Amino acid sequence: MRQILRLTVNGEAAESLVAPHQSLADFLREDLGLTGTKHGCDLGDCGACTVLVDGEPRLSCITLALECEGREVTTIEGVARDGRVHPVQEAFDRCVAAQCGYCTPGLVLSCVALLRDNPSPSEAQIRAGLSGNICRCTGYTKIMDAVREAAVELAGQAPSPAEGSRRD
Amino acid sequence: MMRLPAFDYRVPREVGEAVSLLAEYGEDAKVLAGGTDLLPSMKQGLFTPKVLVSLRGMAELRGIRDAEGGGLRVGAATTLRDVARDPRVLALYPALADACSTVATHIIQGTGTLGGNVLLDTRCTYYNQSAFWRTALGFCLKKGGDVCHVARTSPTCMATASADTVPALILMGANARLVGAAGERVVPVESLYTDDGRDWNTLRPGELLTEVLLPPPAPGSAILHRKMRRRQAIDYGFLLAAVRVDGDLAGGLTDARVVVSCVGPRPVVTPLGDLVAGRPLTAELAEEIAHAAARPAAPLTTHGVMPSYRKKMIRVTVRRALDTLRGEPSAAV
Amino acid sequence: MTDRPDAPSALGQRAGKIDGPPKVTGAAVFADDLRLPRMLIGKILRSPHAHARIARIDVSRARALPGVHAVITGEDLPERYGVIPVSQDETALKIGKVRMVGDEVAAVAAVDEDTALAALALIEVDYEPLPEILTVEDALTRSDVLIHEDAKNGNVTKRVFQRYGNVDEGFAEADVIVEDEYLYEASTHVPLETHCAVGHYTPDGKLTVWSSTQIPHYLHRYLARVLGIDAARVRVIKPEVGAGYGGKSDPFPLEFCAAELSRRTGRPVKIAYTREEVFYAHRGRHQFKMWLKMGVKKSGEITAIDYKCWLDGGAYSSFGVVTSYYAGVFMTLPYTLPRYRFEAIRVFTNKPPAGPKRGHGAIQPRFALELHIDKAAAALGIDPVDLRRRNCVEPGTETVNGLRITSVALKECLDAVTKASGYHEKRGRLGPNRGIGLAASTYMCGANHSIYASEGPHSTVQMKLDRSGQVAIFSGTADIGQGSVEMLGRIAAEVLGISTRDMRVVEGDTDLTPVDLGSYSSRVTFMAGNAVLQAARRCRDQLAGPVAAKLGCAPADLVFRDHRIWPGDHPEWKDDPAHSLSFRQGVEVAEAATGQGIGAMGSYRPPRIGSRFRQTSVGPSPAYSFTAQVAEVTVDPETGEISIDRIWAAHDCGKAINPQVVEGQVEGCVYMGVGEALLEEHVFRGALYQSPSILEYKIPTSLDTPPIEVLLVESHDPEGPFGAKEAGEGPQLSTVPAIANAVWDATGVWMNETPFLPERVLKALEAKRKAEAKGRTAAVAPAPRGSGSGT
Ligand SMILES: Cc1cc2nc3c(=O)[nH]c(=O)nc-3n(C[C@H](O)[C@H](O)[C@H](O)COP(=O)(O)OP(=O)(O)OC[C@H]3O[C@@H](n4cnc5c(N)ncnc54)[C@H](O)[C@@H]3O)c2cc1C
Ligand code: FES
Ligand code: FES
Repeated sequence: MRQILRLTVNGEAAESLVAPHQSLADFLREDLGLTGTKHGCDLGDCGACTVLVDGEPRLSCITLALECEGREVTTIEGVARDGRVHPVQEAFDRCVAAQCGYCTPGLVLSCVALLRDNPSPSEAQIRAGLSGNICRCTGYTKIMDAVREAAVELAGQAPSPAEGSRRD
Repeated sequence: MMRLPAFDYRVPREVGEAVSLLAEYGEDAKVLAGGTDLLPSMKQGLFTPKVLVSLRGMAELRGIRDAEGGGLRVGAATTLRDVARDPRVLALYPALADACSTVATHIIQGTGTLGGNVLLDTRCTYYNQSAFWRTALGFCLKKGGDVCHVARTSPTCMATASADTVPALILMGANARLVGAAGERVVPVESLYTDDGRDWNTLRPGELLTEVLLPPPAPGSAILHRKMRRRQAIDYGFLLAAVRVDGDLAGGLTDARVVVSCVGPRPVVTPLGDLVAGRPLTAELAEEIAHAAARPAAPLTTHGVMPSYRKKMIRVTVRRALDTLRGEPSAAV
Repeated sequence: MTDRPDAPSALGQRAGKIDGPPKVTGAAVFADDLRLPRMLIGKILRSPHAHARIARIDVSRARALPGVHAVITGEDLPERYGVIPVSQDETALKIGKVRMVGDEVAAVAAVDEDTALAALALIEVDYEPLPEILTVEDALTRSDVLIHEDAKNGNVTKRVFQRYGNVDEGFAEADVIVEDEYLYEASTHVPLETHCAVGHYTPDGKLTVWSSTQIPHYLHRYLARVLGIDAARVRVIKPEVGAGYGGKSDPFPLEFCAAELSRRTGRPVKIAYTREEVFYAHRGRHQFKMWLKMGVKKSGEITAIDYKCWLDGGAYSSFGVVTSYYAGVFMTLPYTLPRYRFEAIRVFTNKPPAGPKRGHGAIQPRFALELHIDKAAAALGIDPVDLRRRNCVEPGTETVNGLRITSVALKECLDAVTKASGYHEKRGRLGPNRGIGLAASTYMCGANHSIYASEGPHSTVQMKLDRSGQVAIFSGTADIGQGSVEMLGRIAAEVLGISTRDMRVVEGDTDLTPVDLGSYSSRVTFMAGNAVLQAARRCRDQLAGPVAAKLGCAPADLVFRDHRIWPGDHPEWKDDPAHSLSFRQGVEVAEAATGQGIGAMGSYRPPRIGSRFRQTSVGPSPAYSFTAQVAEVTVDPETGEISIDRIWAAHDCGKAINPQVVEGQVEGCVYMGVGEALLEEHVFRGALYQSPSILEYKIPTSLDTPPIEVLLVESHDPEGPFGAKEAGEGPQLSTVPAIANAVWDATGVWMNETPFLPERVLKALEAKRKAEAKGRTAAVAPAPRGSGSGT
């Protein structure tokens, strides 16, 4: 039987009736029309469906929508800040880190979380931070460029180093 | 999109309620922790529970607490990432922290739980496939069929223990707190597994794993976790090993144990007290331990990687772990 | 009026690409993101048998299920098709028999996915299994089992035999003969987006299909034919495509089924493949077994190549006839070859069909040849780079099989890559188990002949300017991530002197965009690039007369740059409104002066310079790209694991229209090569894939991918748009052999079989140790450490 789901999506409260067997990806794409969240395998293998749940990357294809009761979900449509695209998105654009763009939403969200937790990641840390999201087009090279550039940009923006760190 | 089969969904607020739900629904219920093992398997038609009992409503199942008399109590629904990042775990049980961070990817580590890992279903290349694929091949012993595609004459299923954290947990002497309608019991993690990949764990019907209990580390003992996989992320191991030595490495060891996993339904534990007692951990002893640890393991075609290679790699991996303890840089160039 | 470099050029700039913003914000719409009113969801029932007769299909229970709107089977779409006209061996849903696990048998449309899946489960099919053909050997010997009963040559899709000169004479002249066998394993594309199509048949008798296709034009033709609808009433729209790498080039059953189910229900129908279904759709890299013999003189001159290969084609032809040619025709490049003989045999097996994957048909023989070159160098004691330089083709020449060579910058690529990597300093000197290796390669820029016989242009682009200042480009090309939208925009921007951000590129919509043959064989930059260049120049000419009249100068003197138009001999007038115009004003002036709208078509048809050999009708291309790569590796002698420390890739792309995009193509090629070298292979359990999932089919993650350094070399092809050539496929050809040659430098073993899995490396190392212990030497003795270096 369908159940009521209350949660926050991209900063807005949402209330919806969902079937227990609906995945979060399905709920976001089909019920809310947030088709920026992609799916490449539906089994947790590729990272295309990555969204942030309470700020942490999560694979929406193997998460039940109902498991997100009361939580805050951020999709690619919600990472822009104050009407301006996020510095990570800007850097992806500038560096041509998106070829076909299918992995991009998931990767942008992973990178947003990576740079929040670690504002100046090393090469190895960037590689590790991208390792849950497969990109079949780029060889990750330009994506790594974008992460480096975004890190610099975000460091310039942050009023104090503490702001960039993890919330909890 | 691959769909999940339909089910009912319950979110108990406390362990008592969860246990009575599990008792009520019996075989029809499945526990949902992070869902990173269960939900893909359900999409592949491996399970079709009528009810999922979610652990998310029970705060008591999450978090890491100091245990009386030393050691830690890790709530079963604590995520692998939270375990790996906990300063106490890092200080006392570095091998466990290591093991948590070799699971899948950092994203899955943030969702998957320690309890779910301990109770990760056994895996096999003939089992972890879609319903269509299994129809095309013919169902196997573990799900819907009467033959094991790995060992055609075997009366039991050969699917392998695959959880990254379990070898280290066994060597740490970790225990599991199991709560059922009939009460609770604490058993060694080592005793949770059987030799039949089909009926692979010793939980009683309706039992919930609530905590993993980590005893204080024995003084003078060291544990290392090792994993071999094809791909450096998004990959199960084709070989898992954990190595423990006790005593004075240079003066003389008092005990040693090795656990090898991904080679059969249960992790293979090799006690080596007799072999090592009183001997310093030399290169020769390391080699002997590695041989002894490999001997009882009999990898089969459960994985894409050749059994003979996996067998060979047990020796290399175990010996290299010991070399690391000896302060030798790993033999790799 | 020329394209004068009086102000900063649009070419070469590093500022992103036109279609970047929608992709980084999630706004880009892919096929599965489409939602039309009343849309139904379709699903396809597949055969669990590899080879079987369909004795009975009963769909009545499925049809009766509430929520199901239509069920179709093979007889409902009986028209045969196949992307290559000479091998029409597919139907959307199989009729009478199935030839592989995953063959399509029936399709349903229902109100939602759950209902559609439930309906599939209600379809009853009785199969009578037939003997299976699983290997090339079986295909060639089991004449009693025919996969296609009406095929002309039994289970052989195609045999190609070509001979240029007398190879035996060549071998007689040679001082060293290198002969070996190779196996290049099958692999698949794994585009992250699974195939998806939406069909919409409307009451006006028109059909629209949105599909994740690389080739809207061929899909258009086949939809019309299979559905029996006049092509004038069929529209194919390519939304954003989550990449293809060749895997979305064929017409696929889901496109026909979505269309037919829509025709039957009067509602839009969407079908999306699951990841597993994409594995069955396949059309990936053929497994090649190869035998190669090459003669070389002491001087390093290559005297002859004799080469034979066997291709495991799977159940259908797909592009296989073409693959069989590509399997051999490019072996005459980039090393001058006086005598050449080759034979390729592609067979049918009861497995998913192979087809075109990045570097189509040329990857496998290149692997063999580049190892062969290093083996010859070792045998002769010549530096492998010198051996390659010694034989390098020259511009303005013709190969032994009649391929016309225009621009070549291979030597420059070799220089760039050896210098950047320190190849000569490192080779043989990196210490135990570490090595460095090099390989070079070449690839075409589109085929001179289209797939079906046609004298028409291969690319046409339409351009429209208006007084808003906006420029719209309409092109039938298909951007699948490789950057064709950006390429079209940049070329137009360069000619018209405006920024690409003021442009709209409308691509891949057969109602709106002129015909382009699509994204395959690396043809788009060269062909559509030339077409858009012509269209843009024509538009500029339409502006130039009236604008020159207004500014009082000759049209030829005008400069178009930075959104301004001014007389080029007066740079100081550029921003002076009295003597110059903005681009927008220029359009206004031209519209007013002529009373006409501004716009033009531009087209490209390859020069009619096929090979003078009739047999070489496949292979000729207007230009060829060249690549040289170096890989540095470390081999773990105990585990056999290879780790690639870095790859340097120098690519002769002619001219980088957008260097970031070109670099991205090279990086992507290297990445895919790394996957094929170390991880990816199709393993079968009988006729069944062992691993039809991203978890088990191991494509590299960021942690499995080495740092990649790209060096762009510009040879300015005389016929390419602004000199540009391809970059999307060619660079992959060098990667795998460069890695293999590095493994040899590290260990002294030749990895003649891909992928170089740890267990295979270990086995090779053990064999070598045993051979050394016995004092035997291998067929080709490795050069002593260090001796291969120096120039
Ligand atoms: C792409 C991918 C790669 C992976 N790679 C690895 C890997 O490398 N190594 C590895 O070890 N795992 C891997 N996993 C599996 C999984 O992510 C982890 O094992 C994880 O720890 C499982 O935890 P969970 O909370 O998600 O378990 P769930 O899926 O929620 O549960 C797993 C099983 O345990 C039962 N269960 C869970 N908690 C309890 C409890 N408290 N009491 C009783 N029963 C319970 C469930 O009913 C279920 O049967 C991978 C998964 C994916 C999708
Ligand atoms: S779609 Fe979720 S991980 Fe691939
Ligand atoms: S850009 Fe295509 S998958 Fe990453």
